[in-house]
Amino acid sequence: MNLIEKYLAKAAGLSSVAPGQDISCQVSYCAAHDVTAPIAIKMFREIGVDKVFDPERVVLIVDHIYPAASEKARDGVWTMSDFSKEFGVKLYDRGQGVIHQIMYQNHRANPGEIVAIADSHTCTCGGYGAIGIGVGSTELAAAMATGKLDLEVPEVVQVHLTGKLPSNVFGKDLILYLGSKFGTDYLVDRGLIFTGEGINEFDIPERMTVCNMGTEIGSMITLFGTTERENDVWENYEIDLSTLEPQIAKPFSPANVVPVKEVAGTKITQVVVGSCTNGRLNDMEQVAKAFKGKKVHRDVNTFVVPASKEILDAMEEKGWCKIIRDAGATVLNPGCGSCFGAHEGLTSTRDVVVSTTNRNFPGRMGSMKANIYLASPATAAQSALTGEITVPAREDA
Amino acid sequence: MEKIKGKVVVLGNDVDTDQILPGYAMAEPFEELGKFAMAGVPDMVFSEVAEPGCIIVAASNFGCGSSREQAPIALKKAGVGMIVAKGFARIFRRNAINIGLPVFAADIVDLVKTGDVIEVDPAKGIVTINGEEHAFRPLSDNVLKTLESGGLIPRVRKELGIE
Repeated sequence: MNLIEKYLAKAAGLSSVAPGQDISCQVSYCAAHDVTAPIAIKMFREIGVDKVFDPERVVLIVDHIYPAASEKARDGVWTMSDFSKEFGVKLYDRGQGVIHQIMYQNHRANPGEIVAIADSHTCTCGGYGAIGIGVGSTELAAAMATGKLDLEVPEVVQVHLTGKLPSNVFGKDLILYLGSKFGTDYLVDRGLIFTGEGINEFDIPERMTVCNMGTEIGSMITLFGTTERENDVWENYEIDLSTLEPQIAKPFSPANVVPVKEVAGTKITQVVVGSCTNGRLNDMEQVAKAFKGKKVHRDVNTFVVPASKEILDAMEEKGWCKIIRDAGATVLNPGCGSCFGAHEGLTSTRDVVVSTTNRNFPGRMGSMKANIYLASPATAAQSALTGEITVPAREDA
Repeated sequence: MEKIKGKVVVLGNDVDTDQILPGYAMAEPFEELGKFAMAGVPDMVFSEVAEPGCIIVAASNFGCGSSREQAPIALKKAGVGMIVAKGFARIFRRNAINIGLPVFAADIVDLVKTGDVIEVDPAKGIVTINGEEHAFRPLSDNVLKTLESGGLIPRVRKELGIE
């Protein structure tokens, strides 16, 4: 068995599992946010049980539309607040941050444990060794009631990493590069595991970025394993990190990826740095470093969205918020912010966006005609300064 | 599970959840979601091509993107009877089954056009197009059990012994 199979077998209480096998796993945590929780709560009430499987292990987080941008969004928060009181589960409803970051900071599953969150980017957990399964609201409701999640054991694709990462290349560039290699459906219903000495080029926040976008290339489970090569996998790939260069996804697919240099010079009107993909302190550092003493281009709206209050606090302590504001950019409150087209920075037909978020589907940020490019915080920050897509300079060359 | 017959609406590759149900409509009440079904698909007015009981036929990676269950709910509320695609994104596929909307994996997108009538037998894996039968992998027993219960919630109720 490979590491993913070993973890799944343990969670299912079995001595071994094989690809294709249907298993029922114990979950470590269940969580949902303000878009998925109201439906999960409705479904949970329809089941008709009088308690959740473990109140310490069910978490509700308001991150998508906070502060509420509509009466209906606010109604959803009331649904969560009522449920939290009635069933004794933890509720984060004061803009504390994005669900995947809050789970990492305050409710971190141990390596190998199963985390079920009603959000597709639950795969982010793979950056700290847990098995994150993105589920819908109904499946979450069943897991909240039973503590169990039905899964099919996937075939596993191994990406073995070697070499040293250039200074202008990040976890975001690695996962975008894999999008260009694998497309959006090769990994559907499959697992993806990273191994090799090269994994040490990424700290945990960077590994979380890599795993976060596993879902964009279809992967069911995305996980950082160990430096040791896994022998029992379905297919193998090797990447020498020293050969990677900054990558960017062109409209309208996260897998429509080219090296940044191929679209360098494209004029842009908006930059977003943040989200569960790239809203952590190391990402904010890239922005502060680039913006220090400089101004963003006159034609570029620039929004910086930290993924949690803790990250925002640290940014303030380090003076980064002031650097970012003095550059003419706006620091938004922690949350899902401008990523998904509900509020905080909607586009019109004329906009061209460079974003560090995870999706560039048509209409993702408002207008169906707006062009969205996905890149690393370093690429986004440099592009904000120049007003056009720009390759971040390499310092170690 | 019974056969499903309906008029086809053809779509392409990578129909994502922002197209199936845009972010701005996610806080709408369930009953209203049908009005927003496929509101994000460029150059198509879904209500003009869809009718109650219609079958969406698409290419690969249908439903990629968000875990929002509002997406399959919107399709169900809009009257979609079934989705047949070459491939489905995993979370969407499970969401659809969990709310009792049948999905079936079959590569038939090049064999039909919008307005054609087809019949699908999910338990046997047979799709009938113009009187001709095409064989695919039937739905698994586990999926059939959920669909026959009317979705995951009724199934869990039954399994927990709640009536």
